[in-house]
Amino acid sequence: MIVCVSVVGHQNNPLYIQSFTDADDALKLHHVVHCSLDVIEERVNNPKKSGTTLNEAFLGLLYPTLNYKVYGYLTNTKVKFILVTTDLDVRDTDVRNFFRKFHAAYVDAVSNPFHVPGKKITSRTFAQTVSNIVGSYGLN
Amino acid sequence: MAPVGPRSGDAIFSSIDRVNAELFTLTYGAIVRQLLTDLEDVDEVNKQLDQMGYNIGIRLIDEFLAKSGVSRCVDFKETAEMIAKVGFKMFLGVTASVSSWDADGTCCSIILEDNPLVDFVELPDTCQGLYYCNILSGVIRGALEMVSMKTEVT
Repeated sequence: MIVCVSVVGHQNNPLYIQSFTDADDALKLHHVVHCSLDVIEERVNNPKKSGTTLNEAFLGLLYPTLNYKVYGYLTNTKVKFILVTTDLDVRDTDVRNFFRKFHAAYVDAVSNPFHVPGKKITSRTFAQTVSNIVGSYGLN
Repeated sequence: MAPVGPRSGDAIFSSIDRVNAELFTLTYGAIVRQLLTDLEDVDEVNKQLDQMGYNIGIRLIDEFLAKSGVSRCVDFKETAEMIAKVGFKMFLGVTASVSSWDADGTCCSIILEDNPLVDFVELPDTCQGLYYCNILSGVIRGALEMVSMKTEVT
């Protein structure tokens, strides 16, 4: 079950955080997201020599901690999407699909002429779309 | 030279040069954003958009008449239909519908099902009175004024 999704800008400023469980966990989830940013930096700065340079958008499992798994996705503009889930077995294709839809929703939100790049995403449509994507995650 | 018969909006739309829809939407969005930043007053921006539309309309009407070759409209009802079906189709690629005629036949509403100008746009709470598509009102007003029809479009 997905507990939290987050969009972080290229200067590591949070643009959007949405948690899908009870409110008292929210702060802990924010911390988890924050810590995972370090892991992303590490992955980005030290690419594995044997790794391909194509499709480095999906970063995969960043680190399993506590009872959460954290997945990362990096866009070409250095905007990062973080996904925190409590599922024990997670299919790779599911997560990739999720990030693809999430990326599409993000692009629509950013195309809004009233959105200021670098500021928080305040679009209600984006929040709605993200809820829908989370709702339909893993149901196929 | 025999005049060309009136062509449908679809035929004209497919025969003229087109531009990328996203580019168009983003450009219009940038114009509205810039106006808001410069003028800061929503009513002023609405007026400016209407004025810009008016300037476009007075020039657009000639292009419309030349490309579509429609004959004179008999009454206002026909004019409204022409704008909705041929005009919008030709220039925006979408078909509009006419509804809500009042008793005299002097007032109607033109409804656009999907408007390419407003893709991705969400009005922030600070600009709730903004008529985002006011430029279209100006275009219609300007075009009709050039064919000797004084209208008020909101």
